[in-house]
Amino acid sequence: MTNFDSTDSQQHHATGDGATTVVTTTGLTKAYGDRPIFDDVDLDIAAGAMTAVIGPNGIGKTTLLKTLLGHVDPTAGTVTYTGPDVDRPMGYLPQEPAFRPQFTVSETVDFYASLVDAVVDTEELLCEVNLYEARNRRVSALSGGMRRLLAVGQAVLGTPPVVCCDEPASGLDPSMARQVFESLARRAADGMAVVVASHTLSLVETYADHVVILKSGGVAAAGAPTDLIERYDAADLWAVYDAAIDPAADDGSATTVGAPRRGDKPTDQDTAVFGGPTDSGGDR
Amino acid sequence: MSSLAVMSTLIRRELRTAARTRGYYLLGVVVAGTLLGLTVGGGGAATGYIPTVVDLLLPLEVLVPAVAVAIGYRAIPSDLGRGEVAMLNTYAVSPSAYVGAVYLGRAAVLSAIVGVALFVVGLVVAVAAAPDTGVFATHSGVDSPILFGRFLVVTLLFGNAVVAVVLLASIAVASTRTAIVAAIGAVLVVVVGGEAAILLGVLDGVFSEATLRLALGFVPNSAYRGLVFETVVGVLSAGASGYASPLVSVAGLLLWTGGSLGAAVGLLRWRIE
Repeated sequence: MTNFDSTDSQQHHATGDGATTVVTTTGLTKAYGDRPIFDDVDLDIAAGAMTAVIGPNGIGKTTLLKTLLGHVDPTAGTVTYTGPDVDRPMGYLPQEPAFRPQFTVSETVDFYASLVDAVVDTEELLCEVNLYEARNRRVSALSGGMRRLLAVGQAVLGTPPVVCCDEPASGLDPSMARQVFESLARRAADGMAVVVASHTLSLVETYADHVVILKSGGVAAAGAPTDLIERYDAADLWAVYDAAIDPAADDGSATTVGAPRRGDKPTDQDTAVFGGPTDSGGDR
Repeated sequence: MSSLAVMSTLIRRELRTAARTRGYYLLGVVVAGTLLGLTVGGGGAATGYIPTVVDLLLPLEVLVPAVAVAIGYRAIPSDLGRGEVAMLNTYAVSPSAYVGAVYLGRAAVLSAIVGVALFVVGLVVAVAAAPDTGVFATHSGVDSPILFGRFLVVTLLFGNAVVAVVLLASIAVASTRTAIVAAIGAVLVVVVGGEAAILLGVLDGVFSEATLRLALGFVPNSAYRGLVFETVVGVLSAGASGYASPLVSVAGLLLWTGGSLGAAVGLLRWRIE
């Protein structure tokens, strides 16, 4: 049921830093009626990297992920998948995942595994997401966090070239949240393009290779966490986030020296390229 | 992965879901109890299969749609609400395979519930009724378990058409809560609305005898009733009853089934993409 432009599915693109691009968005715009969600977003999703999309609630992170997946049609622009031609090019972890309560954890994984061509070691997968001990438990008896772990396992089943995770750490205790990000980072290290929408900035800063900060209208800033911190002369990603989202409210925990100003162009380090109303680079 | 393999996997999942839903067992007991009560209370059990069919026809016109609503209204909205449809969307699962599998699974549940209940009723009639109901082969004029078997098949055809209508209605709404309202509303519109339209058409002189028989075949309840009169009850009387055309009635029920499923696939595709 995946619906995205895959006319160029065998032609792998390379990003500026040599990574292979598997999903490219060009002029991606989404509006619901008169309400704009994001505008003119150009984005390259690289294989073998974790790309984190961060931003305030309701800013369009989920919509952006769903647009990448082809679950939401953009108002304008295109999403082009350029990864390998496989049955399941993209995995998905929804924001509030749940499964049929009548089945056990093992049965649920087995069901989804039976929908992919690849041989799946379900026991290994359950160990990876820390659900092996709960494998015979009914889904109805799982906590919200455990259901999310199950959904993480489902998302990476069959090793799709791209996996989009909406709030993978939501509802998890800090240790489990870290474990989920570590697991996704390992997947990325193995060549998967991992896209996460998350509010857990400490984990994003630690594990993401590339961060896209969304603000009203589109992309406020993008780049590797260390590059963003350096560019904004900030203490950490939190300070970058504050400065990029609402510079006026910046309490001084990060200086704005080096932060992009209206009219600034994205740096060469950015793999997200933004134009139109988001051309300002974030200081709007 | 082949479409057949995907479909088979999805159908197995539907059947296992149904087998583990306790409410369906309770529903089966209630339906069987109701039909048995009507059979014994109406005197059909002591008289024969055809009197039993006559006793059960009208209650089944209400009971079968109610069962169809109970087992079908939340199947797809629940999967949509849980995000399972969005997750399945990333596998090689087409909307038609998904809707088809859900339909076949739910149709199997309805067939099991109604079929077992009617089978039990048939057994009771076989044990309790007069001895001349044991004839298995005849051209007409004699009560027979074969006629009751036809009644069972026609009832399942009707029920499975209503399941398709219920699935379509349930996809049209946003949540599981509103799905039951939509499903009941759709069944009422199709059942009551269709028959009311025909009645008004007759009163206004819109229908001739020929077009009326055609119209009756395209309203699910009328088609069901017509099939029962023509292929079960009417067999006992000399000649055809002339209530409805069996072929048109079967075509009508199949059209409701296929049309509703086709529309459900289109609607689901529109909702998720």
